[in-house]
Amino acid sequence: MSVKSIGEYSFPSRSRQELYGDDQLVHVWWKDNPWFCAAACFRAPKAMTWGDFWNALVIPFMEEDPDFDPAHEFAWALEGTPFTPDPAATLESLGVTHKCVISMASAA
Amino acid sequence: MTIAPKAPKKLSMKQRYSALTRDLDWEPSYVSTDDMFPYTTFEGITIHDWTKWEDPFRLTVDAYTKYQAEKDKRLYAVLDGFAQSQGHLSLTDASYLNAMKLFLQGVSPLEYQAHRNFAYLARHLNGGGPRFAALCQSLDEMRHLQTEVHTLSNYNKYYSGFANYLHQHDRVWYLSVPKSFFDDAVSSGPFEFLIAIGFSFEYLLTNLLFVPFMSGASFNGDLPTMTFGFSAQSDESRHMTLGLEAIKFLLEQDEANVPIVQHWIDKWFWRGYRVTALVAQMLDYMLPRKVMSWKEAFELYFEQQMLNGLFQDLAFYGIRPPLNVQEAIDEKEILSHQVYWILYQFSHAASFTTSMPSDEHLDWLSATYPDTFDRYYRPLWDKERRNIAAGGRHFDRGLPQLCQVCQIPMGFTEPGDPTTICQRSSDYNGEHFNFCSDGCKNIFDHEPEKYVQAWLPVHQIYQGNCGGGTIPDVLAWYKMAPGDGGEYLGSPDHQSWLGWHDMAEQTGGN
Repeated sequence: MSVKSIGEYSFPSRSRQELYGDDQLVHVWWKDNPWFCAAACFRAPKAMTWGDFWNALVIPFMEEDPDFDPAHEFAWALEGTPFTPDPAATLESLGVTHKCVISMASAA
Repeated sequence: MTIAPKAPKKLSMKQRYSALTRDLDWEPSYVSTDDMFPYTTFEGITIHDWTKWEDPFRLTVDAYTKYQAEKDKRLYAVLDGFAQSQGHLSLTDASYLNAMKLFLQGVSPLEYQAHRNFAYLARHLNGGGPRFAALCQSLDEMRHLQTEVHTLSNYNKYYSGFANYLHQHDRVWYLSVPKSFFDDAVSSGPFEFLIAIGFSFEYLLTNLLFVPFMSGASFNGDLPTMTFGFSAQSDESRHMTLGLEAIKFLLEQDEANVPIVQHWIDKWFWRGYRVTALVAQMLDYMLPRKVMSWKEAFELYFEQQMLNGLFQDLAFYGIRPPLNVQEAIDEKEILSHQVYWILYQFSHAASFTTSMPSDEHLDWLSATYPDTFDRYYRPLWDKERRNIAAGGRHFDRGLPQLCQVCQIPMGFTEPGDPTTICQRSSDYNGEHFNFCSDGCKNIFDHEPEKYVQAWLPVHQIYQGNCGGGTIPDVLAWYKMAPGDGGEYLGSPDHQSWLGWHDMAEQTGGN
């Protein structure tokens, strides 16, 4: 299906990756914790390591939950597929793409 | 012999209506009809006979202006009396005005947008009957904006959050929900607009959108808003009739119109329903004195009146209830709680305040939502109570994932599972897009070229288009002053209210 219009209808996306330079948007969804009403959206460099992403962006956000324990072993999934992030690997090499959803679950 | 001139013949109401409306129409002679009305074919709708449009009100311009002037006089007398007698002091509580801030910021600017598009229809529909009906509605919508602004302007003298509603409507994250909804409608063709706004918004969902605000006003001592509601009510009934006439006209003109109209009903039911999410939380959380719960409002105004009434009639034309309607029904016990939980933790970036419900309020929610509240939502408030006792207050420290279509932070849950957030996505032109529901995903998948242009507030902030990279930068760009948003207890509105009512000492200045 497509738009019915009075002329040619083709416009660029307002959130395409190139608008963020070397960065991209990454969603982190704490799946079994309703304290956060929705997944968080971060802007992060593609070349950022998972360790830096976790320490610099995710932890400061999640600490708003008084029960958050950064040392907890979370079960991770990237777009629904379980994965084990290596702290030294970059987001790009882990397969993290623009506007994708990474989920974390407290329960194994 | 002189012949006395004939006395002018007095026209009957029907003749008078014809003479002053449809008889002013003409057939073009030196341009084609298609040139004169270039926008009524591209959507694929077929109209065989424009004269078949019924205008049940038979309104003329002189009668219209006379009625409206009388209504305005009554409204402005009430506004003056309320202002002169310091009527704002007899509201149930200053926190009630959060509902009105949301209305002024989110709904009133839509009246102006409706005014513009109905003016467009008043020029561009082929038939004289529907053009005149659209003209009247265009004027109504302008009058509604003006009277709403005048009605609420009195509160702007004493309370925060009202001052920059137009500026904020175009910029602020939660206001992008109603704004993008209407932008979607005004950027569609004339027939889709008639179904989107004339039918779905003004008929199917109007009682869910409009009545709760006006009833809330009546229950909470807001005489001006209640009077505005009465003043708009006769217009609204005319708009409902126009919406119903529009859909019947399209369906009766050609059978090939039926699937097109059905798709628009599916789309615009879901678009409008997602906007009513803001009303749901308003009814259950923002009104100090409750009118009815969202669940009760949804059952009465939607399930009984629309599904069991209207759609029984539309079945005759081959129209079925909207797609995804079952999800909306299933959400009635959880919707308001999810939406207020979103607004509560992001109200530091809003132009209204929120607060943890009192014990009495929590008990009302438990009693009103016996199957869901204690199980899913009370535990969150219990945790927040401990958080507050420890010196905290739950404000999110970042930005949320947004739905590409409705633009609401993605806090809605899977059908049948209130514990898991619903995540849907589509890939289009090599780009990934996220949605809160099957309803929003369906809408995107039908017209991806349209929704890739969505101005999503979170993404715009990250692109640096909203004043800067920190929350104070963005709030300054929103023109939000300290105290406009955040926690109600201790806010400027709360402190003023206690001061005016001389209650500071009794409550320990809390």
